[in-house]
Amino acid sequence: MSATTESVLLRLDDISLSFKGVKAITSISFAVKAGEICALIGPNGAGKSSLLNVINGVYQAQSGSVSYAGQTRRRMRPHQAAERGIARTFQNIALFKGMSVLDNVLTGRNLKRRSSWVEQMLRLGRAPREDDEQRRHAEKVIEFLRIHPWRHVLVGKLPYGLQKRVELARALAAEPELLLLDEPMAGMNAQEKGEMSQFIRDINREFGTTVVLIEHDIGVVMGLCDHVVVLDYGRKIGDGTPEQVRANPDVIAAYLGTRRTRTERH
Amino acid sequence: MTQTLPQALLLQAETRGSAIALRYKRLGIWHVRSWSELAEDVSRLAAALHQRGFSRGDDLLIISQARSEALLLALAAQWLGGSVTLLDPELDNRPLLTRLKPAFVLAEALDAVQQVRSIDTPPRVLLFLDGRGLNTAEDRALNAYAELSVGVTTDAPAPVSDSAATAFVFHPAGLGQPQRLSHGQLLDGARKLVARESLSASEEALAARVFAASGQARYLLAPWLSAGFCLNFPEALATRDTDRRELGPTLVLGTRESYARLEFWARERLPLPGTFSHRLYRWAMVPEVNSVRRWLGHWLIRRPLLDVLGMSRLRVPLLVGPALSPESAEFFGALGIRPGNWQEPSTPRALVDAPALLISQSV
Repeated sequence: MSATTESVLLRLDDISLSFKGVKAITSISFAVKAGEICALIGPNGAGKSSLLNVINGVYQAQSGSVSYAGQTRRRMRPHQAAERGIARTFQNIALFKGMSVLDNVLTGRNLKRRSSWVEQMLRLGRAPREDDEQRRHAEKVIEFLRIHPWRHVLVGKLPYGLQKRVELARALAAEPELLLLDEPMAGMNAQEKGEMSQFIRDINREFGTTVVLIEHDIGVVMGLCDHVVVLDYGRKIGDGTPEQVRANPDVIAAYLGTRRTRTERH
Repeated sequence: MTQTLPQALLLQAETRGSAIALRYKRLGIWHVRSWSELAEDVSRLAAALHQRGFSRGDDLLIISQARSEALLLALAAQWLGGSVTLLDPELDNRPLLTRLKPAFVLAEALDAVQQVRSIDTPPRVLLFLDGRGLNTAEDRALNAYAELSVGVTTDAPAPVSDSAATAFVFHPAGLGQPQRLSHGQLLDGARKLVARESLSASEEALAARVFAASGQARYLLAPWLSAGFCLNFPEALATRDTDRRELGPTLVLGTRESYARLEFWARERLPLPGTFSHRLYRWAMVPEVNSVRRWLGHWLIRRPLLDVLGMSRLRVPLLVGPALSPESAEFFGALGIRPGNWQEPSTPRALVDAPALLISQSV
């Protein structure tokens, strides 16, 4: 997909990544426009999660560069990514199970605090005012994602679908410009997927947050996303609108599958 | 004696201006409005509605859950001599909306706005409470409730004083005749209820149900303005059980279904049958003349259960519509809660297991 330079929020240029000689990602380039919902799709092992990890600095690519908000960096640490407005959720839920929903969401506000740990411990100086402010922000997110009935419930006691929503809330609490969602609908039933899709659409529309997500459900991807990047064996095989990707013969062959002809079968 | 609901509001603002009239929860925090603040809010909203062309005889249609904003705007419309039609946002109101062709509408959120937009005749004023998913640029009639009073410079006219003016209109399911309740009818009924149940300004009432039932207006709104107690709004329908626990209301209003839902909610959390805890529960819930057993049952089981239900301070449980099922009546009766309706006081000794008349038939 072509994207003009000024509207691009994220650009990956010739990214390659390997683990002890095993190539996970090979020379991948694509751009994500500000304000769009972009899906990374592909079979298991295609390199989708690795690519997400490269974007937010968990993995450092062996070659290539990542440009984010106009700045190109060879290397970016996860905390730098967070400071620059990139938040993410994980394939396997990574919440504090022994903490309440509210406390989990508040952890997403840590980078917004300016008071020192001494002030926070003794509730002096900026800390009390900041506590109120962080709570207000967290509550707005909690209400937005409709998890207020479980505000004070321990996360470990919540069903899986709600835990996924709490994880999304924690990421959203950081007020990100770019939200990376690693299989946000994995393990959900159709109704839960529908709700989660609506929340992602609402986040994108109401806050203008750019979203890059990994999802296996093609129906969800085609209905939700503006832009789809298709990976297969660490290579990009498709990049465009859902309609363009749907019509791409390489994608059909590699990801959606093709019906073999009679001569091929015999 | 006050003749209309807005006059009753002004009287409360004069006599107990600083007392809490409304309590509502936003973003996890309880907020309060005193009677004088509430009267000012309603007056300002009335001025804003008046500026937008709402006048005596007009009807304001509200499609919303029980929310303080909906209540304030309803009072503002009644202040101007208009009536208020209340609809349940959970229902498909499109056939009714097509028939009514409302000119002034308050819709809670996107779903309700879409219902209003589906009719051929668009309203002159369409207000919304929650703007999520709405594109206000595409509809000039669409305005946020929060911005209604912005730029209003004139004062509201004097509040309506005609007790025969219609305050609320309720539309039964199907195509039956609408039920109109005048200010006078509501206040007369409220005074009777206040006297019968000895309601005072110290009551804490919970308004958890959707406003689209006449019982809300009769049992809760009119008595609230008449007795001057505090009306509490939960954060959302989904949080009403938690909010009830936090508040500990002394007056609640429910239907057979809402009491049954609460009973089911409580039973789901009981210890498993066969366990010692479950046997203790059953032992404590049996009506018993033995004072020791009654005392122990109260402190070991019934009192903690009432705390969990948020009913430990409950004094006046009211019922709208048919009587409770025998199971629900037995459950709540064992806890000392015997919801009464218009004909039956709320605290009789006998269990309420006989069919009761509908509220709509009762006054």
